[in-house]
Amino acid sequence: MSQNLEIQKESSQKSFNLMKSIKVADIIRLTVIISLLAFALTTPGFLSSLSIRSLLSTMSFVGCVAVGMTFITLSGNIMSFSIGAGLSAATIIFVALLPYGLFTALVATVIFSAVINGIQGWIIGYFRANPIIVSMAGYSLIIGIMTYFTQGRGLYIQGSEAAFFKQNLGPIPGPFIGLVLAVIVAQLILTYTRVGKRIYLTGSNSKAALAAGFEPWKTIVWAYVLSGVFAAIAAILMASRYSSGDLQHGIGLEFGAISAVLVGGTLIQGGKGSVLHTLLGTLLIAVFQAVLVLRGFSTEIQQLALGVVVLVVIMLQWKKDK
Amino acid sequence: MDKILKNRAAHPFILLVFIIILIGILGGERVFTASTLFSVFQQFATLGPISLALGMTMIVRHFDISVAGVMGLAGCVAVLLGAESPLFGIAAAMCLGLVSGAVQGTIIVKLKLSSIGVTLGGLLTLIGLAYVLTGNQELGYARFDISAYIDKPHFDFVSIRFLSALFIFFIASILISWTRYGRDILASGSNPKAASIAGVRVEAIVIGIFIISGVFSALGGALLSYSLAAASPVALSNILVPAAAAAIIGGVSLGGGNGHPIGIAGGVLVICVLQSGLTAIGVEPFVHDIAMGGVLLLVGILNGGDLVRRINDFKRKFIGVSQ
Repeated sequence: MSQNLEIQKESSQKSFNLMKSIKVADIIRLTVIISLLAFALTTPGFLSSLSIRSLLSTMSFVGCVAVGMTFITLSGNIMSFSIGAGLSAATIIFVALLPYGLFTALVATVIFSAVINGIQGWIIGYFRANPIIVSMAGYSLIIGIMTYFTQGRGLYIQGSEAAFFKQNLGPIPGPFIGLVLAVIVAQLILTYTRVGKRIYLTGSNSKAALAAGFEPWKTIVWAYVLSGVFAAIAAILMASRYSSGDLQHGIGLEFGAISAVLVGGTLIQGGKGSVLHTLLGTLLIAVFQAVLVLRGFSTEIQQLALGVVVLVVIMLQWKKDK
Repeated sequence: MDKILKNRAAHPFILLVFIIILIGILGGERVFTASTLFSVFQQFATLGPISLALGMTMIVRHFDISVAGVMGLAGCVAVLLGAESPLFGIAAAMCLGLVSGAVQGTIIVKLKLSSIGVTLGGLLTLIGLAYVLTGNQELGYARFDISAYIDKPHFDFVSIRFLSALFIFFIASILISWTRYGRDILASGSNPKAASIAGVRVEAIVIGIFIISGVFSALGGALLSYSLAAASPVALSNILVPAAAAAIIGGVSLGGGNGHPIGIAGGVLVICVLQSGLTAIGVEPFVHDIAMGGVLLLVGILNGGDLVRRINDFKRKFIGVSQ
């Protein structure tokens, strides 16, 4: 009899746990996505190809940066304040080196971006330094040094070497293809490589990572190097599209990127989330803004709405334990 | 002398003396004029309140990114509402700062969320509000008499705006040094759990600090836009970086529990003297960016949790010191 009771108790606990595992936050997220989609589809003009195409190309730049930022957030380092400044610097490097050939320019831009982010990652990981302070320092140093070299002026693409990156594939805008490829590669890295798995472990518990037998700092360097690589892709696409390299290109992009990462559902303290989540976040924000525009709201209202959305999304990450 | 060296709040002032001597050597006597001093103090009036606001939250182990947003929005509110009565504009701006700080502080404490995440959302929301209020345009402030009044140099170098900034540093210093709350604030920052067991109402303290942070940065923003006779919604990293740098140079430790408003004032002075001094001796502005970035990086490394361990690693590997 008592055994029976035990079993009953256990099974009732199990169903209780099941109820618990479907979180309120998930329900809210799903509701938001469905209602947003319904809202978008009923908005006149949303499905017209022009609005969708402009939507896709504007979201691609910030999307690539957000893919990069995902690695930083997942590794437990919140966000980088310097990723926008680094991207601006990378557009200048790309445009400056284009006369030496497209391949040289591409390789140099990716290496440059990987190195400037990797150095910050090394300092943050190796000394366990504060990621916010180090990336702010990075911001200041990048802006200062690049202003010295450019004297504050932008560079313009003279030849047609970068024309390839301006192309569209039929109706699909070029930058969006870049974003999709970036997302696929980044997600493969996260899911199937050792570095990817270690980024998750470092982000959720860096002491456990040490106990598991690897130095978390090396993983953190990798996370920053990868973020630099994906920021470089955004830089190349941006420089080609605008035919220029300029310190203004990346201003404020880090805020758009971290918004996309968080709206996608990646935890701000790291360890949980994915690049696909970030793509979802980028899409949601872009659709949301496009709908607001089509419904006649001003760009100012969009800014406010984005802020409120990010605030609400962060509040949904509250911890019940602790 | 030993006592001075051990006091963290004194460090920025020692650094300040060195920088002034260095600028004197590089620039000669012509640098030290009343107008340079006035420009240092005017920059202090802009950077000081926001740096103090950020520094106070760092003392309780948090990091209020939204100060930049409060500053921008408060400037817009003050300009919009202060056309008739400038004091009403300032009061409205400070109320806004109070509400923003109270809301964000409560969210952080009650939902146990990281302050960077919440204030990031707060920053974006506040900037959005500023965009909506201004219609994404620069607002002019028609009361040029007020601009002239708060920026007029008295005794050749102090303006009303500078005195207001000094005043909030004074209030914050009294709060930290001479009241019970000061001890509670430091205790909440250095070890929240122990403080809570000892009877400190850590949650209330943190919310209070966020309110103070909001009010201070709002005051700074309102006075700045009066002084410029204009307000626009653009803010973001441009002010956050020097504000954080000043607080850190001023001896606020990244781990919380350490720091004093007087030290932060010293840190702000270091940044302002560096900026004005470098301009006065004819160095281009980017040098200031590089210097500030370098200092931030250095402090970041020195505060790193694994620094000692890494130095020991280095010694073992290359110098051959065995334990």
